[in-house]
Order: sequence, then C-alpha cells, then structure tokens
Amino acid sequence: MNRWIGPVLAAPVTLWLLLAFAAPMFVVLVLSLHEYPDPFGPILMAPSLAQYTEIVSDTFYLGVISETVLLSLAVTVVAAVLGYPLAYWLARMPVKYRAIAFSVILIPLLTNVVVRSLGIMLLLSPEGLINTVTGWVGIPPARSMLFTHGAVIVALTQVFLPFMVLALYDNLQNTSPRVHEAAQSLGASPAVRFLTVDLPLSLPGLRAGSVIVFLMASTAYVSATLLGGKKVWTTSMLVLQEAIKNLNAPLAAALTIAMTVIGLSFAALCTIGFTRLMPWLKGKPSRPLSIPRWLVPWVDALGPIVSRILLLMSLLLLLLPLGLVFVQSFNDVPQATAAGFKGFTLKWYEQVFFAGTYADAFWISVQLALASMVAAIALALPAAFALARFPFRGRSMLVAFWLLPLTLPNVAIGVGMLRLLQLYVIIPPFIGLMAIHVIVILPFAITLLTTSVMALDRSQEEAAASLGANGIKRFFLIILPGLAPGLFAAGIVGFLLSFGEVTVTSFLTTARMTTLPVRIYAESTFSLEPTAHAISAVLILFTIIALAVVGKIVRLDRLYAR
Amino acid sequence: MNITRRNFTRLIAGAGVGLAAPAHFVKRAVAEPKKGDELVVGVWGGAQEKIVKEYVEKPLVEKYGCKVSYVLGGTGERRARAYAERGRPSFDVLYLNIYESRQAVKDGVTQEPTPNVERFEALYPSARRGGYGVAFNPCTIVYDKRKASKPITSWKDMWNPEWKGRIAWPDGLGAEGISALMMTARAWGGTEKDFDLVVEKVKELKPFAAIQSSQAQLFEMFDQDICDLSVEFGSFTRTYAESRNPNIEIASPEEGQALAMNVACITEGTRNQKLAEEWVNLHLSEPCMLAYSRELYYSPTVNDLTIPEDLKPKLVLGEEAVSKLVDFDWDLINASRPKWQARYDREIAG
Repeated sequence: MNRWIGPVLAAPVTLWLLLAFAAPMFVVLVLSLHEYPDPFGPILMAPSLAQYTEIVSDTFYLGVISETVLLSLAVTVVAAVLGYPLAYWLARMPVKYRAIAFSVILIPLLTNVVVRSLGIMLLLSPEGLINTVTGWVGIPPARSMLFTHGAVIVALTQVFLPFMVLALYDNLQNTSPRVHEAAQSLGASPAVRFLTVDLPLSLPGLRAGSVIVFLMASTAYVSATLLGGKKVWTTSMLVLQEAIKNLNAPLAAALTIAMTVIGLSFAALCTIGFTRLMPWLKGKPSRPLSIPRWLVPWVDALGPIVSRILLLMSLLLLLLPLGLVFVQSFNDVPQATAAGFKGFTLKWYEQVFFAGTYADAFWISVQLALASMVAAIALALPAAFALARFPFRGRSMLVAFWLLPLTLPNVAIGVGMLRLLQLYVIIPPFIGLMAIHVIVILPFAITLLTTSVMALDRSQEEAAASLGANGIKRFFLIILPGLAPGLFAAGIVGFLLSFGEVTVTSFLTTARMTTLPVRIYAESTFSLEPTAHAISAVLILFTIIALAVVGKIVRLDRLYAR
Repeated sequence: MNITRRNFTRLIAGAGVGLAAPAHFVKRAVAEPKKGDELVVGVWGGAQEKIVKEYVEKPLVEKYGCKVSYVLGGTGERRARAYAERGRPSFDVLYLNIYESRQAVKDGVTQEPTPNVERFEALYPSARRGGYGVAFNPCTIVYDKRKASKPITSWKDMWNPEWKGRIAWPDGLGAEGISALMMTARAWGGTEKDFDLVVEKVKELKPFAAIQSSQAQLFEMFDQDICDLSVEFGSFTRTYAESRNPNIEIASPEEGQALAMNVACITEGTRNQKLAEEWVNLHLSEPCMLAYSRELYYSPTVNDLTIPEDLKPKLVLGEEAVSKLVDFDWDLINASRPKWQARYDREIAG
C-alpha cells in the first residue's frame, strides 16, 4: 500500500505539467523540425534539420546567441558581486528590522518588469537622473548611456538581483554564529572571515542564484528590447521577431531549442564547477581556504569600504528606479519615458482612480495570480510530501521534469502555445492563462514546500499519534501549522510570479483577458503615458502596507529560508 | 408531360422556397446584433483608443446595447494572434497597416471589403483594398530644422554629410521601415526589385544614432537630442511638432511621400458580422474622420467630408493628392519579407 502513496501524490502535478507544459514543448520541438514556415499547415510534417542548419551556418544567429550568453554571464557576475553585500546585510540585520529590510527585495519583485525597465530608462537617459546629478557638479552629460549593452546589463541586473540575493541570503543566514565566533577567536577580521568562512559556506546559494539569474537573463526580452533600443540583440528578441513579425514559427522554435540547450548546459557546468569547489559536501577531505598573510592588511583595510560601496550600489540599483517611477507618476509629461521633471500633476492618478484606466486589467491580474497561486500550491503540496516522505523509483527523473519549466525559456512555451491555440480553442482563456502561470510557479512552489516538509519535526507528529490523534487531526493540528511559513512563502512567491508574468502571457491574452503587465508592455512599445507609473506607484504603496501587516504575523525573512 | 396550371403554381412556389432558402440562411449567418453582444476590436492605444471610444463605441453601444472590448498595442501581436486563430477568431475587427491587411485577406484571415458597409461607396479606390482604409498616413523624412543647412527637398538629402551619425533609422520592415527602404530605391533610380542597391545606399548612412521602433521613442530621442532625423508618419510628427517641439520639420520630398494607410479589417469567421460592419461604418463617418484629422492629422479615406479651412493645408485631400502618394508593390515586398528582414538584421541594424 505504502508503495503507491508516493506516485499517487506525485500524479496531479505530473499530469498538469504534461498537459500544459510538455504539450507546447513538444509542439516547439516538432515545429523546429519543419523545413519551411506554414502558419496554416499541419503540425506534423516530415522532419528536417533545415532550421538548425540555418542557425549553425549563419554567423548572424551565432553572433546573437553568443552576445546573449556573454550578456547573461555579465548579468550573473554583476548580480553576484552586488548580491553578496546585500544578502550579508540582510542576514546580519536585527530581527526587528528584518521585515522592513526585506521589502527592499520584495517590492522590486512585485513591481512589474516593464515599469522597472522604464525606471532604468529614466535613470540613464540624457536628461535622466544620473546626468542631472553629475550636471550639478559640472560633469558634462553622458548622452549615450541608453541603448547599449551596459544599459541592458544594468536593467537585467536590477530585475534579477533579488533572486540572487534570496538564494545567497538563505545560506548566509544559516551559518551558525558559533562558526563566526570560532573564526573571530582565531583572529579573523570581519573581512577575512567573510572570504574564508561565509563565502565558501554560501557556495550552494551562489550556485542556485547563478543558475537562476543566468537562465532568466538569457531568456529575457522585455528589458533587452526597451533598454537595448534594437541596437542590442538577444536570442529571445530574435525568437519573438521570427514568431510574431515574420510568422516563421519553425525558426523561432529552433532558436528556442538552441536557447534551451545552452541554458541546460550552463546549469550543468555550474553544478559541476561548484560541486568541485565544495568537496566537503561529499565528505571528501578539503583544504581550508586561506588568504596569504601579505594580503590580509589590504583585505582588512579595503573590505569594509568596498562592501559598503557595493551595498550602497545594490540598494540604489534596486530602489532608485522605483523612486523614479514615483516621481514620474506626478510628472506632467506626455510620455512615460520622457525624462526630466516638467511640472507637477495629479492627472495620471485621476485616470487610474476615476477614469478606470487599467482597472479591468488590474483585476484580471489579481484574480489570475490568486487562482494560479492556489492551484500551484494545491499541486505542489502533495508532490512535496511525495518527495520528502514517500520515496519511490524514478523519483529523481520526475523531479528533473518538474523543475524543467525553470530551465526552459518561457518564450518557448509561448511559441508552442500560440500554435496549440488552434487545438485548444475550447479552453476558456482564463483557464488557459492559469494553466501556464501554474507552470511558471510550480518549480518554486515545489522547492519551497519540499524543504518545508523536510524541516517538519516528525517527533511532534509521533507524539500526537501516541496521544491518539488520527491522520486527519495530525495533518491539521501539527503538520499544517508547521508548514505555515512555507505555504506562506510559496503563496507570496507564486502570487508575485504570476502577477508580473509578461513573456508567455503576452502570447495568450485575448481582448477579454489582458493582464496588467501585458497591457503596460503592449503600450510601452507604442505610446505609454505616465498612467502606468501612477498605477505602479499605487501598487508599490500597497505592497509596503501589505508587507508591514504580514510582517507582524509571519517573519518575512523566513519566506525564502529553505 | 403537360404542365397544368396547378402544377406550375406548385413548381413556382417550390422554386421560390428553394431560392429563398439560401437567402434565408445567409441572413441567419449575419444575425442581427443582440443586446449584450460583445465586439472585440484590436486597435492602437493612446489617442486612437480615445477617438474610437468616443466616436465609434458610443453610438454603436447606444444603438445596439452591445459591449466593446479592446486589445491595444502595435499590429504585430494582434496579427500573429489573428493568424493563430484563423477561422475561429477572438477578434471581430482588427486594425492593420497597409501591407499586413492585404496579406491577411490573401491568407483568409480577414475579409475583402464589401458595400455591406454603407460608407464603402465613399472610399477612395486605394482605400478599398485589404479591408476598409480608415486613414491615409504618409511617411516622410522628419528632421530638426536647426541642424539642416537647407530644407530637405529630396529623399537623397539624407545622404548629406551633415546628418552623418544623427539619423535614427526606423526599425525593421514596418510601415516606416519599408517606406524608408523603398523610397531609397526610388530616389536612387531603382525599384522595389533592387534591394541590393537599397542595402548598399542605406549602409552608407551608418553609423546610426539609434534604431527607432515607435514614434513615441523617436520623439523622445528628438527631445533628448539623441538624433536629428528619421523617417516617420507625418501626422503624428505634426502633432508632436505643434505640441512639444517646434523645431521639427516634416519634409515634402520631390519624389513624394510614401503611402501608408491604417486599415480596419473584419475577421473571417467573426460571430458579429453586422456589428463589425456597423463599427467600420461609424469609423468612416464624418464626426470620427474629422476627429482623427483634428487630433492626429490623419487624412480621410472618404471623399465626401467638409474639411475645416484651417485643417486643409495639413492633410492629404482629394483624388489628385492621394494619387501622388507613392504606393509600392506590396506583393513583391510581402514575398521578399523573410529575405529582406534577414538582410536588414545583418547589414543595416547589425
């Protein structure tokens, strides 16, 4: 009997992924083997490698792919460099202030990517904040910061830094204070201690963070399009151009498969590389890290300065664009991206609150995020129990499948779904969108909930059982309260991911069903008014209030503790 | 067999029923709009959304008690979606640009225009292809006149060294992009077929200050002094110049301005045929057309409007002026699109 519990618990999530994820991915694979594009032809055709041959034999495609890889590597490195001081700062923050400090990460996460990218534009544009400030001290303006690789790297780092920080924070805060005391008693200064103790111990977090940031950065297109101004090309932009503008689904599909292979290879290389750096995880003998004696004074002298500067930079990078969004929401300019403050106005707020601009899209986003979040948790919770408590054969294969959506570009799911729309017409748009959003949330929900289930104290359950509590009572009185932080964390992360999703959603929205971020993105490519900033500012305020309230009930920093 | 009068009457009655039946079915297919029907319209956001809401949606809702939903944004996404949903569209009315609309009719995604739309008769001939043309919106060179040593009078003037490094070239093969590329061909003695010539000439203009992918972005670039010249719709640029930047000039090159047109297209398979036709009809009505002309300087596609004097010099009016706009061989362009896009990406934008 027990043998079957694991597979049964694992079945719902597997089934969901097969229908909503494996199907479009299969379509993408099949499309990539089409010899030529035919938007109305059958999905199954005689396979051909024509698209792949074209990609491999064309220096342009190879150039864009390598440009994307380099760009993503740069973003990963910058995110790691800026993420460490921030994560360290959060981990050392007194518990009392930690909830508030955590909002530094959570608020940017809740603000949608489009608006954050617009914030970066306001920062870098010729009349933007940076040039205004440097102008005060007489430095001539740098007119060409926008539409460069640098601008794209800054924007992508802004967008994905929170994920790196969360991954690092997890490890850094788990380091026992006793380890620090030991290091200190052996004469290590804080800077030396960080390099020799905290850094090695946080390598698993760095591995997780690097993989996530690289994968997300290499498949992003919103920020790259807005900040790169078509002078910077990424593979996702090519995919979108081929799929949408040129209606060349086979080439788009082949490019997404190429992206997928690159992403998976990076994840594999990263895992192998970092595992080599951490022989102690496998119980192998390892030499402690040490810093040459002559270097120690330098580290001691420069460490505090450098770490503070980096901390300041990361805080500014995360918060300044949001601040600019606030300012812009009162700015009397005709367009969302017009930099420079021209005059105070409340008209954008009037439009949000009285004219009802964005109200429909906002409610759809909220409903969709709530529904997706609940569905994802309902699917992930049994899966988490299956993984943590009821091992069965083939489990690791299944886990790899469950986490696959994380490593595959969302844009691929979009391309596949666009084609599947012809078959899936009977599915109501809301359910269709929800199905996809659940896929986006699932890898996070499964990871978070599995660690929560593993952390449950079995002895409490045994005690309850010995006192006569049956399975149902134990579940509601012991297990569920124990899982509360994990559920809460999964709930918030799920809501955020769904609420901000643009990539796949923009392929699938219909007139009756347009989400807020998609609507803002669609307008930003045409003509966007600062109304977008007004509603974002309102959302940011709501987030701050919600976090303050939630922080009273649950320790927010526990949200991401694995 | 002799036909008796009774039999003959029966035959006629039978034939009558038989003949009437198809008509009856056709009528049924174009069902009368009911209260609460929902019309889905894909249109550009911003000012256009406001105008159609005021001058098309309002009277339509008043008359039929229907509901109108919008998908806003550029044409790319809505075209891709309409193609994905061919025959079972979620859109009823789709606004496309000139080349997309003609291709969409060929691909069976949208319908040919018909006189079922009352105002069809008033349309200029060039506005009766690929759907119902709702606005002429020519593309031309727009530039900062302070930076010009003399006014621009030819497309060739873009090659004057004074513009080197200051041009924001339009992105890809959209309406502005195609206009810029095809007018390059015309200006240098070629036709649509001479794409090699086009690429070679445009490459001479590099490096570009930027690649602009929307007029909002271009105007921002003018504001921020990132570029001095581009190819853009004259209409929007005039609004921009009048409201924000009086230094911007809209050129009237001797080779002509490039014809571009916004087209309202009714999807094949729409369940709201009548409502969709009424929608288009209202869009072609005088109040709506005048609002477009007044607010966006879109030139009307119908020939029976009374245009206020102050607007006349800013619009393309009358058969002769319309016929002077340079139209291209869209079949050739659409057929060459993948090849040209590839060369654009590699040699012009890259």
